Amino acid sequence: MNRIRAALAAASVLLLAAACGGGGGSSDASDKGPATVKVSVIPIVDVAPVYLGAQQGFFAEQKLKLQFETAQGGAAIVPAVVSGQVDFGFSNYTSLVLARSKGLPLKVVAPGNASTGADKKDFGGVVVKSGSPIRTAKDLVGKRVAVNTLNNINDTTVRASIRKAGGDAKNVKFTELAFPDMLAALDKGNVDAVQVVEPFLTTALKNGGRLVASNYVDTAPNLTIAAYFTSQKTAASKPDLVKRFAAAMQKSLQYADQNPDAVRKILGTYTKIDPSVASALTLPKFPARVDQAGLQTLENLAVQDGLIKKAPDVKDLLP
Amino acid sequence: MTAAVTADAVGDGRGGRRHRTVPGWLLGLAGLAGLMALAEVVPRAGLVKKRFLPPFSDMLSALADEAGTGAFWRALLETLRGWAIGLAVATAAGVVLGIAIGGLPLVRAAMSSTIEFLRPIPSVALIPLAVLLYGTTMRSTLLLVVYASFWQVLVQVLYGVRDVDPVARETARSYRFRPLTQVRTVLWPTALPYVMTGFRLAAAVALILEITGELVIGSPGLGKQIAVAQGSNAVASMYALVIVVGLIGVVVNVIVRAVERRVLRWHPSVRREVVS
Repeated sequence: MNRIRAALAAASVLLLAAACGGGGGSSDASDKGPATVKVSVIPIVDVAPVYLGAQQGFFAEQKLKLQFETAQGGAAIVPAVVSGQVDFGFSNYTSLVLARSKGLPLKVVAPGNASTGADKKDFGGVVVKSGSPIRTAKDLVGKRVAVNTLNNINDTTVRASIRKAGGDAKNVKFTELAFPDMLAALDKGNVDAVQVVEPFLTTALKNGGRLVASNYVDTAPNLTIAAYFTSQKTAASKPDLVKRFAAAMQKSLQYADQNPDAVRKILGTYTKIDPSVASALTLPKFPARVDQAGLQTLENLAVQDGLIKKAPDVKDLLP
Repeated sequence: MTAAVTADAVGDGRGGRRHRTVPGWLLGLAGLAGLMALAEVVPRAGLVKKRFLPPFSDMLSALADEAGTGAFWRALLETLRGWAIGLAVATAAGVVLGIAIGGLPLVRAAMSSTIEFLRPIPSVALIPLAVLLYGTTMRSTLLLVVYASFWQVLVQVLYGVRDVDPVARETARSYRFRPLTQVRTVLWPTALPYVMTGFRLAAAVALILEITGELVIGSPGLGKQIAVAQGSNAVASMYALVIVVGLIGVVVNVIVRAVERRVLRWHPSVRREVVS
């Protein structure tokens, strides 16, 4: 009874606080100086460094106060950044290349996350059911493979994986499914293989799934997957702000890369990943430097697979 | 001593039941209990895999965990706030515009095709527009909520205005009532039951769109928490939050019906209900 009353009291206090506060609610209310920057991210493992950096005060050091505006998908992030609703966003490189090729004025400011570079020990991969005849990426030819977004980084890298294994990458049936729906679809046999990332990869393997390919590893060594970006307008009009964000981001990425336990711990603050899964999952690498070669590879794949006709200049996208 | 207590308890139970044969709420609870039992048994019996549909007890314990976090209560507040603001704006706009449009036959004739064109546009189809205008903030969800629930109110008010007794209207006109007095004494009492119906429909629609917006756009609230749970493969938490949303729906319905009864207590339809 007492606990219920305490919970109710806590709840009402929180309600009041939220009602009065409106937005933010960050810990550093002491300083008047910091500029508030809005960052739009998807609440997934990949963006742990930005949360960790905010917690460790790396952004406060640069006189920045982060305001997170989480989105459910990259599709909502790019327009929000272009229209200036938010200052920075998080997206994978292929999406950025696609957006850039359509003339959207985007600029990468810091790397996001990268493949571990270790085969079968990456944070994403292609998984099949335990009894499946599919053994390698080559066996995926003619099969139904689920990816979270068609014509994006995951199907192009799975194709790269198949090509590397010597298969005909054109002859694969890709199906679009959200990550949370993939394991159930695989289980029911609606698809033959799924390309999943953490925490679904760990969950899939724990439930008897078999990893057949690490598509990011097969694409390029230490492939950078995603990046933090801004609009060219913001980059031109607020160069100092962008520089400070990039510096804080770099420090956060470095810290995250060196302190995997801190990363696993921060996951509990912005996701609902089960602690037992969080401690077991494979973390991506968090590179501190933008990987131009990797971006070029993804861009070439986008052209090769017909996502875009003509590749935009990579340098135009990079800082 | 013990015997007396038990007897008392039994007596109480019987006493409660004696008033009416089987009260409606008891049947409702029985139905709910049946659903809970089903949700517990189906995964346990292995009809559905537990990792895709956890037993009801797992959902409840996940709900208890959620209730211990500040994020849950903040999200609940965000949802209720978005719903209330959206509903209030939609109701106010629907009533004012409904009376204005419905009261002037010429305007109504001119607007009817426009209304019939705009009304069936599903709010969800406006998500890209909302995101472009307001990003992933609460305002983009609010836009959806207002858009969807506004039509519910407006259309009802238009019907209500049309339903005014012509004799009463002509009488008011003959006595040279001022327009506002006409609205207050003739139009409003006739339209009020319609307004309340619109309000009740709008309350439900507003909640649906509030959750949809949060879920799809990612604006703060319970819908977003559901999406986060889904993205974290926290299946039990996801169902727990879905249950909470369902409960909000029930509470909203009960409150709106109570408001309706109170506002329309003079109206024959409600009076009859009370008498029976």
